[in-house]
Amino acid sequence: MNYRRRAGYLAYLFALPFLLLFTTFVILPLIYGLVLGFFRWDMLSPNPARFVALENFREAFADAYFWRALMATVRFVVLAVPLTIVLALSLAVGLNRVPRRRQAFYRAAYYLPTVITISVTGILWRWFYNSEFGLFNASLAPFGIKIPWITDPNWAMPSLVLMTLWWTVGGPMVALLAGLQNISPAYFEAAALDGATGWQSFRSITLPLLRPVLVFVLVLNVIGGFQVFGQVYMITRGGPELSTRTLVQYIYETAFNNYRMGYAAALSWLLFLVIGFFSVIQFRMMRER
Amino acid sequence: METEKRKIGIGEVLLLLGAVFFIAPVLLIGITAFKPDSEIVHFNGILPKQVTLGNFREILGNGEEIPIFRWFGNSVFNSTAISLLVVSVSSLAAYAFARLDLPGRKWLFPLIVGTLMVPGQVLLVPVYLILNRLGWLDTPLAIIVPAGGGAFGFFMLHQFFQGIPKDLEEAAELDGCSRWGIFRNVVLPLSRAPLATLAIFTFVGSWNDFLGPLVFLDSVDKYTLPVGVALFQTSYYAEYGLTLAAAVLCTLPVVLAFLIFQRNIIQSIALTGLKD
Amino acid sequence: MSEPNRSRRQFLTTALTLPIATTSLSGCGRSGGRKIVLRFRNGFTGPDGRTMLRMVQRFNAANPDIEVLMQRMDWATYYNKLFVSGLGGRAPEVFVLQTHAVPRFARARFVRGIDDLTAVPNGLPVADLDSNVFEAVHIGDRHYGVPIDLWPLGMYYNRQLFREAGVVDERGQAKPPTDADGFLDAASKITRRGSGGQTDRWGFVFTNFESNVYTLMLQFGGRFFTPDYSRCVLNDPNNIAALQFGVDLIHRYKVAPPPENYDAWIGFRQGKIGMAFEGIYMLADLQKQKDLDFAGAPVPVLGTEAAVWSGSHNLCLRGDLEGKHLEAAWRFVRFVSDNSLDWAEGGQVPVRRSLRRTPRFETMAVQAQFARQIPYVHYLPRLPFIFEFQTEFGLAVEKALRKRATPSESLAVAESNINRIIERERNAGNPVGEMPV
Repeated sequence: MNYRRRAGYLAYLFALPFLLLFTTFVILPLIYGLVLGFFRWDMLSPNPARFVALENFREAFADAYFWRALMATVRFVVLAVPLTIVLALSLAVGLNRVPRRRQAFYRAAYYLPTVITISVTGILWRWFYNSEFGLFNASLAPFGIKIPWITDPNWAMPSLVLMTLWWTVGGPMVALLAGLQNISPAYFEAAALDGATGWQSFRSITLPLLRPVLVFVLVLNVIGGFQVFGQVYMITRGGPELSTRTLVQYIYETAFNNYRMGYAAALSWLLFLVIGFFSVIQFRMMRER
Repeated sequence: METEKRKIGIGEVLLLLGAVFFIAPVLLIGITAFKPDSEIVHFNGILPKQVTLGNFREILGNGEEIPIFRWFGNSVFNSTAISLLVVSVSSLAAYAFARLDLPGRKWLFPLIVGTLMVPGQVLLVPVYLILNRLGWLDTPLAIIVPAGGGAFGFFMLHQFFQGIPKDLEEAAELDGCSRWGIFRNVVLPLSRAPLATLAIFTFVGSWNDFLGPLVFLDSVDKYTLPVGVALFQTSYYAEYGLTLAAAVLCTLPVVLAFLIFQRNIIQSIALTGLKD
Repeated sequence: MSEPNRSRRQFLTTALTLPIATTSLSGCGRSGGRKIVLRFRNGFTGPDGRTMLRMVQRFNAANPDIEVLMQRMDWATYYNKLFVSGLGGRAPEVFVLQTHAVPRFARARFVRGIDDLTAVPNGLPVADLDSNVFEAVHIGDRHYGVPIDLWPLGMYYNRQLFREAGVVDERGQAKPPTDADGFLDAASKITRRGSGGQTDRWGFVFTNFESNVYTLMLQFGGRFFTPDYSRCVLNDPNNIAALQFGVDLIHRYKVAPPPENYDAWIGFRQGKIGMAFEGIYMLADLQKQKDLDFAGAPVPVLGTEAAVWSGSHNLCLRGDLEGKHLEAAWRFVRFVSDNSLDWAEGGQVPVRRSLRRTPRFETMAVQAQFARQIPYVHYLPRLPFIFEFQTEFGLAVEKALRKRATPSESLAVAESNINRIIERERNAGNPVGEMPV
């Protein structure tokens, strides 16, 4: 029908600039990267790239370091994501209750760490976490406590999570706050008239109305969690004893230190599948409600 | 939201404590930048025993080796351009998907959002090759243009647009407004908060972006601030004083920009026609 | 966000990017004109970066027909960038490679051999270079770079702590140890508990696992590979004994704290550590610490033979360089080599023997001390997959030092992993041994 076709063209016109950039700088490179996973291309050798089908993937499944990296990544996500979301939501709700004038201050305060670049945050927290000379242990020394923040494999990941909370809760908090503020207060007034408690109206009004933004924040946080790299690189470099070497760090090292581009591409494929798997589960769970 | 609580409840006290914890490390950076390197290493005491402007002087006064103003200018220019680019193309595309019934959106939308799962490092080499072919390496274009293809802004605005009640748009349509008119006169004004939020996120994210500028830029005078600041570190140690001073200079403008933007958000929400 | 704002912004964006696009497409180099532009890339951040930059500026002033553009970034990302730029055909004309990275890049045909350039009468006086240093970049049938310095491991010691602990010579000056007994004696005298019950002064600290333990192993007569690199023999009794000695320093003699990774160096700067083994490149860092009374000395012989870990920076030329650019690049290389005393000021040891015999070098006390070790420096094994080796080696050392595995256990694991890598490379058609190129 004419109207539908015109509407269709119009929609594509709106979307064209984005789709153009997206195709050129995301899809094309992605295809390149994916295809590369089926080749063996090691810059260390003068041999050109060679098609090896699934050999890289077979190597990955047999690669103990791959599984270790995957485990480290999952450990990070399981620790970091729920804490971040819960904290961000609580802060957003809390901030929403504060009078406007003061709200700006709190919002800035909690978002501030996010604007600090990773190289500086890395130095700062490395100093905090140094067991011998660091700030945290120096403050705990009078109590006789000495925590091996980043020198003990059992402590290192939680320490990174703690730093990540500080560094990244601002973003989700701001997004959730914007979402909260888009909810008309009329809903709450009506609920209050009906005698609903704060918690009840939170559950039956706030959460459902916040759902799109919440989904957005959650999905991105999970994805970001699986891709964690900067903090690891700057603070522990994958140690101690490779306990914090996440998958992206492993891929990065494989590509840029070992120059095994084909293998790195295959690993990226696998990471992509893992993330995709969890994202699909998430979307399903969100929809079921 | 008009139950203005004049007094400060327990909740706010907790918020305040939390805020102090969050800001403290940042202030620490600022204070420590005023200490000489030899004192920084000893880490005793928060306040400098010997306040010195030496770190700042060394950074600011050394244009030849440390063109920090250039770096700063590059960062400002790049991040602003990226913000503008992302907000404009993303809002158009997000609206097309959320409200204009884009044909094929059932599979296109998950595809686009799905690319968020791809870590940036994976795309680094192919994007480098593409930029090389275009001749954009070592120019701001290499930093700015690829950012427009990022799905983050698209996803975010799509979710927000979906949350806007349809009645306002339908009313405008009944009034004979074109699709473009509805977008421009109804949807955009309603979306001030998320648009501003996206602008901030994009600005800050691109400001701190390290790997991209590092790989796509060759000349020291084209570096952005984070890449330039990294020149004070080696893998073995860091020139703490200089790095911290540079960090202060790096962070201050972003903080100020954020504070300024904040006021805009508040104003626009107040002017919004959402409370009907 | 009203309409006029948005379209104005869009206009601005286009208006601003258009001129940039046109200028960027007009080719490389800001110099325009007749100058030959050489891009010189290196990993010299920090103070040595500024030293090199000044040398580059002097060269440019003295050679008006050449412009050397220095591009620097930190080492970790430097190699990545170098590699990626090679892919795009944008590799720099001149670049620095640390000795252990040369096999990697030589194999990838990234680097040009330089023997034809040194052979001619006005070439480089290669006889003046320390032979073991120059031979380290001799792969197959040619040399792949010109070493401009040497950065051996050496011992930094805190003279004040030595004096306070009574480790002095007849004149009351701090006396650095030269063997294992002296080392343990000094370390235990310096280590002491503070008022809080915690040890607040240590005799020694492991700052860099790789260099420290590699040195120990060499000193104990250990080996890492069979001479043809066909097999890794890390699990060798001498290596085990060396690693055990390291473990004992922490857990038996208790003169060193549990390992912290490279941030442990801070402790030395704070004046809480008696001795540390670190490279000469840390000198600039220490010189900033005005309240630290330190000096340099050769690493004591803690095993049966004198040996020490070292690395070098080599100036290398891009593989396909030729004609005017080649000639200009070689001129630059010669300049840096001839002026390596300037470079040494930043905390390096020059490898031109004639320059070390000058009075100016004698005044560089720490460098001179470290230079005494030149006859017995050792480089890392010549492997294309050196990074994977370093990862395995570092992991084994870390586990052992933290007492999570015995030395022989952790070394055995590393050895089998590395052998598996050798196998993998051989199956892929990348033989590990000396590569014919």
